[in-house]
Amino acid sequence: MSEQLEQVNNGLIPRVIVCLDVANGRVVKGVNFKGLTDMGDPVELALRYQEQGADEIVFLDIKATLENRANALDTVRRVAQNLSIPFTVGGGLNSYADVEQFLNAGADKVALNSAAVKTPTLINEIAEGFGSQCVVVAIDVNKDETDDYAVYVSGGHVRTEVNAFDWFREVEKRGAGEILLTAMHRDGTGIGFDNELMSRVAKERNIQVIASGGASNEQHFVDTFMAGSDAALAAGMFHRGEYSVQDVKKALKQQQILTR
Amino acid sequence: MSAGLNGSVEPKVVGVINTKAGNLFSLYACLKRIGYTTVQINQPSDLEVNQVDALVIPGQGRFGQVMKQLSATGLDAEIIDWVKQDKPLLGICVGLQVLFNQSEEDPGIPGLGIFQGKVERLNSPKQPMVGWSKLSSGMSDLNEKIVYFVNSYGIKESKVTAATVTYGEQFVAAINQGNIWAFQFHPEKSGDTGEEVIKQCLSS
Repeated sequence: MSEQLEQVNNGLIPRVIVCLDVANGRVVKGVNFKGLTDMGDPVELALRYQEQGADEIVFLDIKATLENRANALDTVRRVAQNLSIPFTVGGGLNSYADVEQFLNAGADKVALNSAAVKTPTLINEIAEGFGSQCVVVAIDVNKDETDDYAVYVSGGHVRTEVNAFDWFREVEKRGAGEILLTAMHRDGTGIGFDNELMSRVAKERNIQVIASGGASNEQHFVDTFMAGSDAALAAGMFHRGEYSVQDVKKALKQQQILTR
Repeated sequence: MSAGLNGSVEPKVVGVINTKAGNLFSLYACLKRIGYTTVQINQPSDLEVNQVDALVIPGQGRFGQVMKQLSATGLDAEIIDWVKQDKPLLGICVGLQVLFNQSEEDPGIPGLGIFQGKVERLNSPKQPMVGWSKLSSGMSDLNEKIVYFVNSYGIKESKVTAATVTYGEQFVAAINQGNIWAFQFHPEKSGDTGEEVIKQCLSS
């Protein structure tokens, strides 16, 4: 077994995560965060992916509004009742109270994004209150003209002045359990994960890194795991029925990467 | 898990100890999916009133927090008594840890001391350990099963070890003695494998 492969198979199984982007109670898919298409019912899809062998489901309420909160909580509850695998919920979580609501509705972990950038101490509070294991910090980065990575907030609409690599370090220090790292410049392109970025962050940080943005086939999962990502997330390629989670697992097995 | 398969009727009523240390949604959802009637156990009298057949110490919260709640309610003595009678007990994560003497997580607070050992901080490559890992066990029902772990602390060695796992270093993933089972992993989050494991443990 190659040294690289030994690194990959160091004890935890690289997770294949399916993301449900939810808007108004429906799973949707957009290109570069824009132009949404209806992909189906969240409960139905979550169960389908669990059946297919997904290692985790991430539910992101991409149009989270206060008015819609009761609805979102109800959907989360219905998914959680039926799922026997880990379930992460994010989108519009702005406070400790918000987090508590979603954990009580059955989420195992929460994903914080804009709120963490705006109020970094929120990461500390949630880690102290509920444990680091349930704090995922979702970070959207975009490669700019100068090849630097800029951190974006508000669903990828607003560029911040935050230095991406400083931010990765800071969220770890504040008690995040995982980083969900979306390369916006790859999102919806189908050309694969930004493995240069994922590899660097996964090596530098002492918490797990979930690669996101750009996957359109099973080989992209193989590549990002070989590059060091601890987990990888995709949405469209699964929702469109082009690939099942089994297809991805089969490809991983063929490359001797541990799967369940 | 032969102890679990030896015959007697599956318990209908599973008591879940209320440790007031976190969210038990997943655990209750899982027990209900399997088909158990669940009862929350807040105090010793709840055990008899509800004719509880099997007891679960859930896997949320920290060692000290859980132990304080068990002592405050008197459930600590009840659990020790339950174990003496060898009635079905399932401990999950911190619910495994409190069965031992003490923990580095909260050094001043003693555990239930049913088993000898100290819970230590684990030397995981990434902390906390969050994810799926493969068990090693002499029991075919556990060996090579892939289950979901969420922890920073664990027991490194025990006389009652039923399975181990390695992430950076080897530690105890499951213990068993008679009808007492405890897991460092979360069976309620471990898909079909986890549900199967729970069924077999609680049916003993």
